[in-house]
Amino acid sequence: MRLTVIALIAIALVLITAGCTQPAQTTNSTVGILYSKGVGPMPMLLATKQIDGYIAWQPFVSIGSKSGIGKVVAYSGQLPPDASNVNHPCCVLFATDALLASNPDLVTAVSALTQASSTYINDHPADAAALEADFLVGKGNFTYGNVTVSSVDVLNDAFPTVRYTNDPSPVWINGTKRFVNTQIQLGYVTSELKNVTGDQLDAKLFAFGPYQDAKQQLASGTLKTPKKITTPITIGYLNGDMHSAALAIALKKWQYFNDTYGVALKPRDATQTRPDTADLIVNGVPVAEIKLVGGDAGPQVMQMAATNVVQMGYVGVPPTVAAIDKGTPVKIIHPVNTEGSGLIVDVNAPVTDWKSFVTWAQQRSAAGNPLKIAAPGKGSIQDVMLQYALKDSGITSKETS
Amino acid sequence: MEGAGAMTLTVEHINKKFVKDASETIESLSDINMEVKDEEFICILGPSGCGKTTLLRIIAGLEHPDSGAVKIDDTVIDRPNQKLGMIFQDYSLYPWRTVNENIAFGLELHGVPKERQDVIVKKYITLAGLAEFGKSYPHELSGGMRQRVAVVRALAVEPTVLLMDEPFGALDAQTRNMLQNELLDIWQKTKKTILFVTHSVDEAVFLADRIVVLTQRPGRICEIIPVNEERPRDRTSVEFAKIRRHVLDLINQKCVLQ
Amino acid sequence: MGIVIQDNCSMNRILMTLASVKRRTFLKILLPIAIIVAWEVIAIVLDNQFILPRLGSVFAVLLHPTADILGNGNLIDNALISLQRVIAGFLVAAAIAIPLGIGMGRSETVHDLFDSLMQMLRPIPPLAWVPLALAWFKIGLVSMIFIIGMGAFFPILLNTLDGVKGVKKTWIETAEILGAKEHQILSRVILPGAAPTIWTGLRVGFGIAWMCVVAAEMMPGTNSGLGYLIMASYNWGQVPVIIAGMIVIGLIGIGFDYLFKLVDRRSFAWRELER
Repeated sequence: MRLTVIALIAIALVLITAGCTQPAQTTNSTVGILYSKGVGPMPMLLATKQIDGYIAWQPFVSIGSKSGIGKVVAYSGQLPPDASNVNHPCCVLFATDALLASNPDLVTAVSALTQASSTYINDHPADAAALEADFLVGKGNFTYGNVTVSSVDVLNDAFPTVRYTNDPSPVWINGTKRFVNTQIQLGYVTSELKNVTGDQLDAKLFAFGPYQDAKQQLASGTLKTPKKITTPITIGYLNGDMHSAALAIALKKWQYFNDTYGVALKPRDATQTRPDTADLIVNGVPVAEIKLVGGDAGPQVMQMAATNVVQMGYVGVPPTVAAIDKGTPVKIIHPVNTEGSGLIVDVNAPVTDWKSFVTWAQQRSAAGNPLKIAAPGKGSIQDVMLQYALKDSGITSKETS
Repeated sequence: MEGAGAMTLTVEHINKKFVKDASETIESLSDINMEVKDEEFICILGPSGCGKTTLLRIIAGLEHPDSGAVKIDDTVIDRPNQKLGMIFQDYSLYPWRTVNENIAFGLELHGVPKERQDVIVKKYITLAGLAEFGKSYPHELSGGMRQRVAVVRALAVEPTVLLMDEPFGALDAQTRNMLQNELLDIWQKTKKTILFVTHSVDEAVFLADRIVVLTQRPGRICEIIPVNEERPRDRTSVEFAKIRRHVLDLINQKCVLQ
Repeated sequence: MGIVIQDNCSMNRILMTLASVKRRTFLKILLPIAIIVAWEVIAIVLDNQFILPRLGSVFAVLLHPTADILGNGNLIDNALISLQRVIAGFLVAAAIAIPLGIGMGRSETVHDLFDSLMQMLRPIPPLAWVPLALAWFKIGLVSMIFIIGMGAFFPILLNTLDGVKGVKKTWIETAEILGAKEHQILSRVILPGAAPTIWTGLRVGFGIAWMCVVAAEMMPGTNSGLGYLIMASYNWGQVPVIIAGMIVIGLIGIGFDYLFKLVDRRSFAWRELER
């Protein structure tokens, strides 16, 4: 009898140390991630209760909250693991190797304009919001059901949540490289960037020369006029994306930038909400015809870069990294923003912050009805951040439909 | 120019084989020889499948014989020639053209000026007795009317010979009889040479100067029967019946199996 | 006496025709009206604008065709732009398909030369050509015309081929006997004879080309047109605009089909009565 009791205690001790007696909920909680391939349908999916929430880039978080469909859990910079997501990389300006080789001064000029534009955005957020609303949707209203929200209000709400910075700081560089590692672990990066570290990785990813030159020229007050070219250069950007606001503001306030900095993108047709052709003017000289093409998704823009349809672009880090991995000859010039995404859930959910979100996830999982959160695409920044934040809080995520 | 001189149409040693599937050849026509004189009305008579349509098409230049030749005077006919007009059994009118436009078709092809075309069309549409139907479309006409248009369309380009492939086959007996009379009328007025294919003994006896009787496949000329009865011929007369009897006997005895 | 009876007969005939026309019209509009009524009822019951917006919100868009939609221009301008593109692609396709169809129909050599290539290309949906079109022709009207043209091409080609082959041999032989040269046979017999079938091919081809407009305008670099409007509205979740766009596409499609059929009835009535 005594032997049996000792045996039982021994077994119990073993089990406890092995951790198998922890409450089942915390370790087995799951959240389903639905890849909606783009953020457009997300507000609708949330409103029709097909999902419990979504993680997306701005302004789609603000659209959700301003229209009363949902409420914000956390913006991307505040997602756990704590402090690691502050200033996380988001969108960048890239250029093709060919362009960098043939006309680096042109890239420098575009970088200078981008930097000047970011400064403007940070100094005049309200004006920038109105201009961006004009660029995106002609300052129109969004109608969701019985609710109508003004795009200007949405952008006003969204702008403070996006950090417009162009500085490829060590923190940012590390963040980007950490992201590449995540991609490798998740199996999305498999070729050129795999097993490459240190300086070699830097060389494959970045080309900061134009950024440095542009910064210097801006500080000194004189820009170098690039040599004039006759073939047009095409710059790609993403439709419905406000992270490339620097481009939009540059187009809308070209006169200001021309007068203040001596560099401008002057639209050829002033009546277009989203100009498709512009002249790059440096120091009063038109040096290049610039075509502007809006794509629906990062990979699409990168495909255009691979076929030399675009020579520069404003897109997210993930598609740029994936493209470089596949051998597309482009380099990242500098960031155009950090942060600027957010997690939003159904307006009636018992959630006020990340902690309560986790509790909610656990409850739903235990009840056999795990949460369904939509993310833009596999391997996107939002997807990766969400998965790691959930993991940090002890929740596993799996793809769902 | 009508009936330019004394034309002779000669058919010399025409042979034709058809290749059926699995390299099985069928002899269709065997050594056809005949001579047609100017302004003659010849009927080619034979059972179905005896090759009479093939013979007509070879004479028209639409098909090539394996050996032998067709000649008008000394010209060999080896492709469609305007001296030979043809009327098909299905009339073959162009349904998208009016009666006037159908008749004018051949004239258009040769660049005849519009005013001249109108004159010629008027002449022939009157000959056909269809003057009020100039602007009608073929589908608005009866079978008999369509056939008349086909005939005058062929006549409008003034061929020397008219080849007719069972033209009245699709019509009822009354219309047929009427058209036979009209055809004879037109023939006498225009003095064309006519080769008329039929499988009806009655029709052949009523129309022809000479009847060329073909055997069953392979078609050979069994007999060429002259019909000397004066026109207009009376279908109900004793003489007509006698000739009919004679032709039928000949066919049944001599021309059926060879 | 005879005249009165004749009048009565004509009268009856007219009345019966009217009744039949009324009945046919009634049947044709029955289903659309029923759908509209059902739509509104379901929309009210569901009370969720994302699944089924209320008729009012869709009509709000349709009844203001000159109002700017999210900075993308208005309904009418975009419809016209899409129409221009479709007509351009359609004409290019016809310009290639009709001569090729005639050549393939008239010449065995031409037919054998092109047949296997056509059979291979035919089943490929126009949408599948988008990535290649973009890479070959870059962004712009040419790649769009390519996509739209690919949609219209095969119905036109196949119907032309069919029509040419269907021209009665005796029609051609009559022309030959009357002294026509090859080019005259082509222009005065083959083309008019094959015209009704070719016209059907054009009608079907245009319909498909119009369907391709959404696919073609989804290509990047497009910033106008009905297809683009629908995609942009999808981007911003504006469902009533999407549905309004779809309705406009449908209406224009019906309109053109009707026009094609009208010409068919007027010019090619002979085809029915020939057979």
